[in-house]
Amino acid sequence: MSALEFLTTGYAYLAFAFLLATGLYMMIASPNLVKKIIGLNMFQSAIFLFFVATAYVQGGSVPVIPQEGGAVGEYASPLPHVIVLTAIVVGVSLTAVALALIVRIYTEYGSLNEETIREVARR
Amino acid sequence: MSAVGIALVAFVAVTAVATVLVRDVLSAIIIFGAYSLGMALFYTLLLAPDVGLTEAAIGAGVTTILLLVTIAKTTRPIGDRVLASINWPAAVVVGVLAVLIGSTVPYIPTDNFTGGLTPVIANPNVTGYYLEMTYADTGVTNAVTAVLAAYRGFDTFGEAVVVFAAGVAVLVVLHTEVFS
Repeated sequence: MSALEFLTTGYAYLAFAFLLATGLYMMIASPNLVKKIIGLNMFQSAIFLFFVATAYVQGGSVPVIPQEGGAVGEYASPLPHVIVLTAIVVGVSLTAVALALIVRIYTEYGSLNEETIREVARR
Repeated sequence: MSAVGIALVAFVAVTAVATVLVRDVLSAIIIFGAYSLGMALFYTLLLAPDVGLTEAAIGAGVTTILLLVTIAKTTRPIGDRVLASINWPAAVVVGVLAVLIGSTVPYIPTDNFTGGLTPVIANPNVTGYYLEMTYADTGVTNAVTAVLAAYRGFDTFGEAVVVFAAGVAVLVVLHTEVFS
């Protein structure tokens, strides 16, 4: 596979790898808890991109199918889309609980900085 | 890969990096909203308009509001520095991870991006069943809606339970006793 062919066929997967790493970096390296949650959301959306990319069909159309039914290859696969829809909603629930915990952490420790919280907890 | 695709990938990558690099959390949240909108457009380009709509409403909408409410109730870093300092050990680790995952990409079948007939990972026979039978089984033309609400209705109900449980958890964590 030539480099150009690789870029044109695999670009969604390359974007997936890049965004996954970027989100993970935010979760590891950012000292601010809210930014860690943003990183978590970015990581999730990268995985959604992977699923959606596997369902794509070149030259196909969106999975809205006429009454007489369609054939494989004419439409994108609806099944990964459904998984991703569920995952998006579960993801926002996760974010809500995480942010509620962050608000509680702030009322207890008076900071959202990882290092500061660790020091206050040690005392 | 069309010009629109190139522009969207570039936009998403730039906003992702900007979210990491900017130090002020409010700016990061706003840039992340733009990122989510870019991802929604990217999903739509990859023939998943239902996912795109949900991402635009929930990823760019609800998540951004939740994040904004959180920093309104707490704090954000003060100081004049615009960019966050880079944690090089972490950057090296995730760089290695990105290269590892990226090196598997040539082995992922990408027929579906070159005019191949089947979606690559979802089983073509299973997909074919849904494409052929959805209207006959459920009377719905949108296959995604049909699977979500009819074939997998109980799973969607379980999803509603998860959202309810998350709501209860938020109330418990925040000590908001609405009924007391």
